[in-house]
This record gives sequence, structure tokens and C-alpha cells, in this order.
Amino acid sequence: MMPFRRPPSKTDFEREVMPHLPALYGVALRMTKNEGDAEDLVQETVMRAYRFFDSFEAGTNCKAWLFRILTNLFCNRYREREREQEILDQVESSEANLGQFVGGPPRDAESALLGRMLSRDVERALTAVPTEFRLAVILADLEDFSYIEIAEIMECPAGTVMSRLYRGRKILQRLLHDYAVEQGILKEDAAAKEGKAPDAPVDLASYRKKKISEA
Amino acid sequence: MKCAQADTFIHAYVDGELAGVDRDSYEQHLLECDACSHACRLQGRFKAAVRGHLSRPPLPPHLKRRIEEALALAPAIRRRFIWHSYPRLVPAAAAAVVLVAVLGAARSHRAPLVLEQALRTYHAAMPMDVVDSNCSSIANWFRGKVDFAVPCPRNARAIQGARLVNVQDRFGAYLVYQVPSGHRVTLMVFMPEDETLDGGRRRVVGDRDVYFGSGRGASTAAYRDRDGLVHVVTSDVDEDTLGHLVEAALYEQRN
Repeated sequence: MMPFRRPPSKTDFEREVMPHLPALYGVALRMTKNEGDAEDLVQETVMRAYRFFDSFEAGTNCKAWLFRILTNLFCNRYREREREQEILDQVESSEANLGQFVGGPPRDAESALLGRMLSRDVERALTAVPTEFRLAVILADLEDFSYIEIAEIMECPAGTVMSRLYRGRKILQRLLHDYAVEQGILKEDAAAKEGKAPDAPVDLASYRKKKISEA
Repeated sequence: MKCAQADTFIHAYVDGELAGVDRDSYEQHLLECDACSHACRLQGRFKAAVRGHLSRPPLPPHLKRRIEEALALAPAIRRRFIWHSYPRLVPAAAAAVVLVAVLGAARSHRAPLVLEQALRTYHAAMPMDVVDSNCSSIANWFRGKVDFAVPCPRNARAIQGARLVNVQDRFGAYLVYQVPSGHRVTLMVFMPEDETLDGGRRRVVGDRDVYFGSGRGASTAAYRDRDGLVHVVTSDVDEDTLGHLVEAALYEQRN
């Protein structure tokens, strides 16, 4: 790839970066879960990219470079706040509880689930997926990044990307199944109702009760 | 391929990341296994469904304006480090650094001037100012000629003579011996003009740092004695043998 032979100009920057603003905002919103934070995150990403644009090699993957900046900023600025909020809310999306969902929904329920998914439930379920897994799913499924690109963006090995994607999708499927059962769209499978299956969906209270009774 | 292994390939296959033999094996397994084929289709449909349900939120117009205004106020992009814009310079610069390091190391291993002078004087075999087989007599001969007491190793039975030399713009003593093996050994002693004594290959002999050099069929070793005098021993022997000679001289000086 040929580098810029002259110092890059604002025009060069705008040509390379501005087309990616919608993608940056979309991911920022799903990561921060807050419009104001998402806007700040995107602006900060763009301004940081501008400051360091001389280090960007023209012709290389600008979108991946921008997402790497965004991811770093998000991890440094918003992650802690997000964790605090999760703890305060005691939501079902806490990682300890979500570990129970990694097995995904029962196989026979998957087909039925596919035809009954609601957009608002998908959005809600994605929001409940823990950060690392959520980011991997968003980058792969919504932004079409390759595993190698995601690995560079998230600064982790490609194998870790694969495992995060696997877990993220399973958690997402399980949550969607659970929502569908809650709303009576799907019937609760017998195994889950009895709590015998190792990957049975449970809420936090049930999970704690089960653990206490087992102790 | 077994179903358990096929299960680990589902996501990579759906994401278009499976290639080569793995992809061929997986696709072959899908042809043979209804359950895995069904699971793979479901995963593909799920990915498409999630994508279909999660539309990209529109970029708020005021955010775009905010960013454009911030960029308008930002100073022009400056090239802070040339290697950021000329990545090919990075390996070139790295190579240059390595070259400098290698040359620097080579230079530090080069015999310093004093070692070169010792080698040159050794080969020149200039006539001696004083010919004597007695060390004390030779030491006495140097009195008043150099501003230090010339050490005269007692084990140097075969001393043949000495001459006055000029080292670092000062007078020094140049002693010539014949060791039992028949080799000629010379010892140049002088008070150095500064405290630095390095260059050549450093080895610790006894309790001293000794710097070795070689050239034109001879080896030379330099060290500083406890009085601060520099001794440069030269002979047409190998470095190890020269090291033994130095060790014997140091031992004698300590006792």
C-alpha cells in the first residue's frame, strides 16, 4: 500500500473517515446503550483519529482502524460505568447468570423461535449480552468484519474472537427463546421447566434459590 | 468428521471463515448428517434474522454537524513522525540501527590505539636502549626517564633488555623478554593520560579486567595494575597462553 507522500490534509481525512460515521454511531449506541454517550464516543473517536491520521496508511482498512480507536475509547471510558450500572440493576444480564444461557435454546425450539423473533426483543437481548461477546457479535454480524479484523479491533487472538462469537450468539439465542416463552409466543420446554437440563434458562432469583438448595 | 467436530465449525462456516480442507470436510459431513446440516442452516438463518431485525440507527444530523464544526476548528494535520507516513523507512531505520550497533560492537572489539602501537612495536623489533639480563638494573636505568617506578617481574629471568618509548605523548618503559618456550614477550608500561582503558576483547584474569587484541601473528593484552599503570603484554603466542603470562605477572605483583 502506498502511503501518503505528503502530509495528509483535512480533505483526505474527511474522504476516508466521514463515510464511516453511521457505522461508528450504530455500534457506539449498542455498546454504550445511551444516545448521549454514543455521540460523545463517536466524536471523540473521530477527533482522535484526526490527531493520529498521520499514522494511518492510506489504502489500508480505515473502517477497522476507526473501530479499533472506538473500542479502545469505549473500554477506557464507558466500560466501568456500564459494569457499575449492571451491578446496580441486578439485571439478568449479569455475566454469572448468563453463563447458564451459553448452551443456547433447546434445538427443537430454535426453528420455532426464528419465525417469532421481534425486533424489539432482538435489540433488548443484544443489549443484555455481556460487553465482549456483544461487541464480537455486532462486529461480525452487523458490520461484516472478518475474524482477523475483529481480532485487531479487539486486540485479542482470532481464537478468542471465535469463542466470544460462539458464546455471544448462544447467549443471544437463549435470551430470545426466554423472551418468547415469557410472552407466550413459545411453549416452555419440559426440561427447562423442571430445571434438569444443564443449559436450562433461569432467572437470577431462581438460580440463587437453586444454588442455595444445592448447598 | 464426527458431529462433535462439525459442531465447532458451524460459526466459522456461516461467517465464511472456513476454508480449504476444513471447509471440504465440513461440507462433506453436512451431506452425510441431517442433524448437522439442519443445525448449520438454522445458524445461518439466525445470523440473517438478527441482522434483519437490527437495523443501523440513523446518524443524528446534529452529531455530524458537531463533528464537522470540531474538525473545522482543529489545526492542520501535522506529520509528527516521518516513519508513520513512510512505513518503508521503518525497516530501513531498523537496519541502520542494527548496522550502527554492529559497527559499534566491532569498533569496541577493535584493538585500541595502545594495543595497535604495542603490536607495531613488537614487530618492528627496534634496537634496545639498554641490554641487561637483570631486572633491577633495568628498573634502575629508567629512573629519571619516566615518572613512575618501572615494575620488573621477578619471574622474567629471561629479560633481554629495554628501551624508552613514547606512549600517548609520554615516556613509557618497553621491556623485552625471552620466555623458556623461546617466544619473545614484550611488556610496555606507562602511566595513562586518562582513566579509560577499554577496547579489544575483555576478559577477567585474576582480579583484573584484561583487554585482548591481536594482529599480524601476535597477541596483545592490556590491563591496569593496582598503581594505575597500564601494562601491555605482547607476544607471538595465542591469546590463552598470553592470558597465562598475564596471570603469572599479576600473581607475582600481588605477592
